[in-house]
Amino acid sequence: MSKLSKSILALAAALVVCLTLTRKVEAHHAFGAEFDPNRPVLLKGPVVRVEWINPHTWIHLEVTKEDGGKQVWMVEGGTPNSLLRRGLKRDTIKPGQVIIVDGYQAKDRSRRANGRDVTLTDGRKFFMGSSGTGAPYDKPENKDK
Amino acid sequence: MRIGLLLVAAALLPGQIPRTAEGKPDLSGVYDIATLTPLLRPDHLGDRLELSDQEAAALAKMEAARMAKTSQASNPNRTAPPKGGDGSEGAAGNVGGYNTVWTDRGTGAFKINGKWRTSIITDPKNGRMPPLTPEARKRAAARVALARPNTGDAWWVKEGLNPGPYDDPELRPLGERCLLGFGSTGGPPMLPVLYNNLKQIVQTPNRIMILNEMVHDVRIIRMNEEHEPPEIRRWLGDSVGRWEGDTLVVDTTNFTDQPALTSATRYLHVVERFTRIDARTLLYQFTVEDPTVWTRPWSGEMIMPATEDRIYEYACHEGNYSFEGILRGARLLEAEAAAKAK
Amino acid sequence: MAAGAQQLPRLSNGKPDFNGVWQAIGSAHYDIERHMARPAMMLRDGPHGPLPAVPLLRLGAVASVPGGMGIVEGGSIPYKPEARAKREENRKHWIERDPEIKCYLPGVPRATYLPFPFQIIQNEKQFFIAYEYAGAARDIYFTDPGPPETDSWMGQSVGKWQGDTLVVEVTGQNDQTWLDRSGTHHTEQMKVVERYRLMTPNHIQYEATIEDPEVFARPWKISLPLYRRMEKDARLVDFKCVEFVEELVFGEHRRKKLER
Repeated sequence: MSKLSKSILALAAALVVCLTLTRKVEAHHAFGAEFDPNRPVLLKGPVVRVEWINPHTWIHLEVTKEDGGKQVWMVEGGTPNSLLRRGLKRDTIKPGQVIIVDGYQAKDRSRRANGRDVTLTDGRKFFMGSSGTGAPYDKPENKDK
Repeated sequence: MRIGLLLVAAALLPGQIPRTAEGKPDLSGVYDIATLTPLLRPDHLGDRLELSDQEAAALAKMEAARMAKTSQASNPNRTAPPKGGDGSEGAAGNVGGYNTVWTDRGTGAFKINGKWRTSIITDPKNGRMPPLTPEARKRAAARVALARPNTGDAWWVKEGLNPGPYDDPELRPLGERCLLGFGSTGGPPMLPVLYNNLKQIVQTPNRIMILNEMVHDVRIIRMNEEHEPPEIRRWLGDSVGRWEGDTLVVDTTNFTDQPALTSATRYLHVVERFTRIDARTLLYQFTVEDPTVWTRPWSGEMIMPATEDRIYEYACHEGNYSFEGILRGARLLEAEAAAKAK
Repeated sequence: MAAGAQQLPRLSNGKPDFNGVWQAIGSAHYDIERHMARPAMMLRDGPHGPLPAVPLLRLGAVASVPGGMGIVEGGSIPYKPEARAKREENRKHWIERDPEIKCYLPGVPRATYLPFPFQIIQNEKQFFIAYEYAGAARDIYFTDPGPPETDSWMGQSVGKWQGDTLVVEVTGQNDQTWLDRSGTHHTEQMKVVERYRLMTPNHIQYEATIEDPEVFARPWKISLPLYRRMEKDARLVDFKCVEFVEELVFGEHRRKKLER
């Protein structure tokens, strides 16, 4: 790689890092206010219900405890508007579909966690399930901005 | 799909812009202002306003690679994330936020007059905000003092803060309370945020409406009128507009005590300029002044590209489970801190 | 007065110009059916007839419900028996259940006849309605995007012109809204077809046909006039009531709870 392209990449990398920094407080709420870093969770089970709402989508799944008892947890996602514009649909996560979620439990100790990474049982991201065959990010109309 | 605007664009000669029956440029449309160009220029770029084509391409490529990486499969046999947090910063809050598919930050920097931009801010020349007044500096310092990494405990109890940052709903950010869209998404000035950057403009001779997707915040610009008396305050300010040639100039005052723009006060005064540069693009320029906050005005510009995407309803308060959880969590952690102290 | 007896304002494409600030008058927002005045929106049994429920007592006549001839054509809503029973229950539990109390978005048609103005911003291609109450807003699509991809509070509005009448079909509303303060509920199956007709420069005849096979035995119709706010400074003023209900909805989670 030439020196020039290395420096361009370094600049771009720096720009991206800085972009992340300047976007620090810009989300509906800081997840840091809601979820407890000392209480990591790994949830696995069938989806019971999806609340396709703002400001956050909530995915309810039924988890089986060690003693065999069942519990329903709520997992927090993002705005459904983004998914709709990516061509994903309400049935992108279907009731009955088994998902794996790793995240952290809510600070109020309720059965809520952030959807840090929501996947299907084979590890594919949840949005790759029903309608996706590849990265859903390349919408041609918006490429040339 | 909004094919109407595209068909109109196809019928025009290149360089021609759509006009209303009254002969004014037609600013109506749906726009997506997501962009990787930040508001504030990274320090190391100094006074450099422009990115080269190669730099802009590298930036877009890096972002595309980052997004592609985050849509790769995870380990199906993964364990829970690390106890003590995963080290993620910013809004992800040491708990890793959520999958990037929920976000829409844009795919690249934006161009004006064929040149890619390093920042939205153009004045001051270093692309950063001007110095703060002493009072504003104090307020900013107080805000910074409250920003802590998420350690999952009621640190404010240990430090004897009064009030603590979670004592009352009124102490929380407007976005968290669902009173306004977060960041300055509706502004004015309207600034890009992490997602839902769509805006709709509906133009008539006497009234021009701007809809911001979050929180379905509507701003109605009254053309050729005076500002409202000082007792009338508005969350998005009171906007009056006039045409200067082919540019719509919008003057906004009468903000409440807590405008969306961080640091700003009721003395905020924003002047925006909307100019249609082609059938698909508006040039959006703004100047911000608040003499109680910044020692001089500052200005920025960016483009508003048309989108064929739709604005979806963003009802916020109606589904604001997280706000309840945040307050409840704070109460619980305070109780735990109190119990430990005994 | 027949439409056309006065010259209507029109856009450059000949369509009637609905631009302006409008508001309904009357008591439809309390109860869209024909009804006598009532002591309050929520009642309890007194020794000699209904009395205001305890939480409303101190508001006296301010909490009373004015009577009205109603806006429902035929007088009463053709609720199925179970659905009518649910409405009765909603009335008994009004203070916990009415979404308006929590400043939730009102849905259609309730947004039209709330006691707040709304503003129509209309050009040759677009028709947008901004409501003062809770900043509710909706865009009328003139190209049908297909069935709504998700439910929402204000639904998806698809409009077309039938001569001088704007006909708007609203689908995809969630089941959380009411049609008035009297517990008039529906499901997400509800379909509303509105008709806006400018009768004179300063009044609109508004009609809406409502169908919801889950709760109504048949489609039914409401109609009422909407009046232009004639004041020189007529406009929407912010009514971001979310702030006003924070104590109600979140107050129990304050660090120092207030008297409730």
